[in-house]
Amino acid sequence: MGHMAGELATAISTAAVTNATPTAGIPTAAVPEAIVAVEGLVKDYGSTHAVRGISFAVRRNEILGFLGPNGAGKTTTIRCLLDLLRPTAGRVEVFGLDARRDGVAIRARLTYLPGELRLPERQSAAELVAGLGRLRGGFDPVRRDELAARLELDLSRPMRNLSSGNRRKVALLLAFLWPVELLVLDEPTSGLDPLMQHEFLRLVREARARGATVLLSSHVLSEVQRAADRVVVLRSGLVVADGTVDELRRRVSQRVEVWFAGPSPAAALDAVPGLADRESEGRRFTATLTGPIGPLLRALAAHEVESMLVEEPDLEEAVLGLYEEAAS
Amino acid sequence: MSGRGLALVLDPMRATRRGAIAWSLSIGALVVVTVAFWPAFEGTTNLGDLIDQLPPGIVEAFGLQGFGTPAGYLRGNLYDVLVPLLLGWASISFANGLTAAEEDAGRLEVILAQPVSRGAAFAGRALAVLAWTVLLTASVAAFQVASDIPIGLEIATDRLLVTVVLCGLLGALHGGLALAVAGILPRPPVVLGIGLGVLIGGFVVAALFPLSDQLRPWAGLSPWDWALGSDPLLNGAEPWRFAALGLPAAGLAIAGLVAFARRDVRAA
Repeated sequence: MGHMAGELATAISTAAVTNATPTAGIPTAAVPEAIVAVEGLVKDYGSTHAVRGISFAVRRNEILGFLGPNGAGKTTTIRCLLDLLRPTAGRVEVFGLDARRDGVAIRARLTYLPGELRLPERQSAAELVAGLGRLRGGFDPVRRDELAARLELDLSRPMRNLSSGNRRKVALLLAFLWPVELLVLDEPTSGLDPLMQHEFLRLVREARARGATVLLSSHVLSEVQRAADRVVVLRSGLVVADGTVDELRRRVSQRVEVWFAGPSPAAALDAVPGLADRESEGRRFTATLTGPIGPLLRALAAHEVESMLVEEPDLEEAVLGLYEEAAS
Repeated sequence: MSGRGLALVLDPMRATRRGAIAWSLSIGALVVVTVAFWPAFEGTTNLGDLIDQLPPGIVEAFGLQGFGTPAGYLRGNLYDVLVPLLLGWASISFANGLTAAEEDAGRLEVILAQPVSRGAAFAGRALAVLAWTVLLTASVAAFQVASDIPIGLEIATDRLLVTVVLCGLLGALHGGLALAVAGILPRPPVVLGIGLGVLIGGFVVAALFPLSDQLRPWAGLSPWDWALGSDPLLNGAEPWRFAALGLPAAGLAIAGLVAFARRDVRAA
């Protein structure tokens, strides 16, 4: 693995969860088995700063969710990985190779599903597969037919006669046709019906099971929540979070409701860190909790608790919270 | 050339074959119809008298001198304006369609995400432009020679071929210019505008500047003058004319390639 991957630090394991403010450059340390390593990436379009010095890594055989609202810089970053864009500053390595200098070797080992899908109108999917096969040194026709059947895709119809959902299926077929080491998927399920979204998740898991790494860019939080091991969240060209889905969830406030056998001991809970919006009414105490729940449980242990409800925060809430933090 | 290299040339050609066939049939039809009217024109003296009354500069500018001879008839009707203009227009269209228009539409990104270099992808398309321009030029020559046989124009085949080849090279030069612009800026209207603007501007310079004593020395700046200044249908052409058109065409295409390899690829 390249030098930069070695330099890229435990940012990945620490930065997001411990650092609530947007980071222009995450402190780095070694990321073992990094397939993609981005450090200090900056991309400007004239006076517009699309990406403002981001660092992150994608580890071998993980599914990394790349989240962010429109214009956050996700696609710009991905296009830098593929050498479609030239960074203003910073470094991008894939498989330990320089994205610009070794672009051909890198792209031989990955497939890319673009977010904005533009396919040749007159060609059929079969012709497109054959054409790209000629550039990639062939393809497995059995695998092509198997994928077409799973995606319920007619390969003989010209692209101009396909709906947007079916065009997306063509792109999915192209992404999963070759047994590559890395799949770069930008908004892969846009326009797909729920059944096909489910099939897509199965394909992603199968790819991971055979050893592939997946960079899954999406703003569909539920999709990322179901598929990803880890999440990098972008906002306005900055990484605002980087960690596991569980770690992200823990960043967001959880609603806590406690019923006591006697009157609510509100004063005794004042010292519990992370509690806010406290309300006591008779035997009932409610609040929101940010951070670990241990101190609250220890405080409650001194009292007779009849029941307790802690609502599970979801990723959507966590990410929306991050967007708002970054915006403010 | 490797299978991948061949695919980078042949796949773009396959994608544009309908357009190429349409261009070939259109220019071929123009050639055949023009030649077919020669017997009727030959027997008419009215037009010749009319041309004789025009100012010599106008006659020269529009290639009307010797209009009553087979060579003058072909030159005035086909090879002074229409055929070189159409071949240039076709070459510019191929260049624009295979590079700037594809990139602007986001379709080039699908190719560039494969294990091919930017330079190879652009070179493949430049070679496809060249191949179509050559094939289109060859089809014009074939239509011309074939239609001459039944009509009996009796123009020396070697001079006819030299003229058609020079027209093809003039087209290739403008195709190369379009590739250079597309390599720098993938905006189809800009590529077409500059390509066609230079093509038409070059004709104006070559045709009209000789009418003015002050502008006449500058007529030699026009690629049209390099291609057709010797009146190749009557006199043939010196070797430098082929090089003067072919070398800049290649240079411009290479400049486009270098520029394309260095810049961002436009997103859809």
